[in-house]
Amino acid sequence: MSAPSGMTVKAVFSHLDCLVDGIHAVKKSGHKDFLAIAPLPRHEIEELIYEGRPSPVRWFTMFGAIFGGTYGFSLCSFTHLNWPMIIPAGKPLVSVPAFLVITFESTVLMGCLFTLLGLLLMCRLPAFDLQVEATDRRFSDDAFGLLLNGLTAAQAQEWKAKLHTAGATEITISEGTDA
Amino acid sequence: MNDLTYGAITRDILRPLFKPSVAYLGLLGLALSVMAWGGYCWYVQLENGLGVGGYQPPVFWGVYITTFVFWIGIGHAGTLISAILFLFRSKWRTGVYRASEAMTIFAVMTAGLFPAIHVGRAWNAYWLFPYPNQRELWQNFKSPLMWDVFAVSTYFSVSTIFFYVGLIPDIATVRDKTTGFVGMMYKQLALGWRGTDRQWHHYMAAYGFFAAFATPLVLSVHSVVSWDFAMAQTAGWHSTLFPPYFVAGAIFSGCAMVITLLLPMSRIFDWGKYLTTWHFESLAKMCLLTGFILTYSYATEHYLAWYSDNPYEWGIFAFRATGAYSWVFWIMVSCNCLIPLVWWSKKLRTNWVVLFAVSVVINIGMWFERFNIIASSLAHQFDPASWVYYTPSWVELGILAGSFGWFFVWFLLFIKVMPSVAIAEVKELVRPPLKADGEAAA
Repeated sequence: MSAPSGMTVKAVFSHLDCLVDGIHAVKKSGHKDFLAIAPLPRHEIEELIYEGRPSPVRWFTMFGAIFGGTYGFSLCSFTHLNWPMIIPAGKPLVSVPAFLVITFESTVLMGCLFTLLGLLLMCRLPAFDLQVEATDRRFSDDAFGLLLNGLTAAQAQEWKAKLHTAGATEITISEGTDA
Repeated sequence: MNDLTYGAITRDILRPLFKPSVAYLGLLGLALSVMAWGGYCWYVQLENGLGVGGYQPPVFWGVYITTFVFWIGIGHAGTLISAILFLFRSKWRTGVYRASEAMTIFAVMTAGLFPAIHVGRAWNAYWLFPYPNQRELWQNFKSPLMWDVFAVSTYFSVSTIFFYVGLIPDIATVRDKTTGFVGMMYKQLALGWRGTDRQWHHYMAAYGFFAAFATPLVLSVHSVVSWDFAMAQTAGWHSTLFPPYFVAGAIFSGCAMVITLLLPMSRIFDWGKYLTTWHFESLAKMCLLTGFILTYSYATEHYLAWYSDNPYEWGIFAFRATGAYSWVFWIMVSCNCLIPLVWWSKKLRTNWVVLFAVSVVINIGMWFERFNIIASSLAHQFDPASWVYYTPSWVELGILAGSFGWFFVWFLLFIKVMPSVAIAEVKELVRPPLKADGEAAA
């Protein structure tokens, strides 16, 4: 992530309900440039921020699975046609039941690889340049975080007061910086 | 568990990392020694050829294929627990799934060695995979052996992806607790994971898809392995019963191996809060269910062989129970069908000594089950003039022992460098810290 312009407010929460109150206040204000951080996935946070919108990762999965299935069946069929082994008893060169195993395995393998690709792209991983305020070691342990970017000095002071009211245990204001 | 805080969970699970005890180093040394012995035996075979094995025509599948199927079977429980039980939202999986997944990866890695060992000229093992070549020569994709190459390599790839993706948030936790070079290594492995809302949103979606893909794989891999046998005309193998029979056996042995590995860990690392009697009892119940399916399959295949009125088919089943390999058959029946029945008693299946002992017995029984299927059918085929008595040579037994050394080396290294219990998922099980709770208490 590039350095956010303007001021950044970083709020640390010890309680989940306080973080949810903070996110609720941000959503209500219409401010879009914010980041909630948690040591575990919580449906309260996801529902509040994404409002039931599904992740686009599913499109990567679907494409990968269709591609994999097509590739698997084509690999078997075209290689057998390329080097025909004439088997007695009238068995077909392109044998659907026999090739379904490879088709299934390729479907699963490519579906997974494309899901992984989708995950990395959508999460923007590897993300070694995430803004420094997000790299608080407590956020992977027992604390929750809320970062508000792109604020003016006056807005930052205003949010500091609001988030304090929501229950933040620590609030800092900084210029947007790279990690 | 509800009285645990997030901080306490992180602390407890990361405690065993990095500082090896004398007992740990001793175990690692033992595993390395056994692995080295296995490596030496393989060297002897590479130097002298497959003649150092106990093969006698027409028995050319022996200990190596038996051990390959055994380790593939062990590799089933991890993905069953991590994927299928995830989709069913089973809570008991949380404590045990990380170590079970690691077990799966290492078991499949171990199994993957055996086709290369079995074919003798291991340096040509890449011929198993389709690759463009100047002769335009391709594999026979109608062969179950080729299906197996795809099934096992897909299973390994998908399990590894699922395992690593599941580890990323926990690696980030370790990264934040370490410094210096070690911290730098974890930083690279965590890929910059910070637990932002965006990351969790896409992560949970992807995790669900991985679980959905891994679920049919659990059922398909051992089905495909069973077709290595069932597609052949050999008496005792050519049966449509094999896929469900093999899958049940794989889950049976895999769950038993999870008990064998995790029970000592929970005692040594003082993880009684995370790996409770409830977890082990659930695994024992899973073994009881799959063990019952297995026993039913043994009975069914014998009944069908008798009912078929086919002298070759019935001959092999009668031979297994009463012939030269009857000792193998009765070890299999005792270990897989009779001894696990003690777990029907709640008192015994919650006794840690009984749990551990029976889990070891099941794994012995499951190795002998595969030996029973493979060796007896090949040694006693249609023509009595070709009947032989195959016994493994010291080289084969050395490589079998070495595979256990190889597996335990990986597993022991894993428990010292990665959290063996899923930190983020255990946190999901406890009540989150809420200000409302503090106010209510006040």
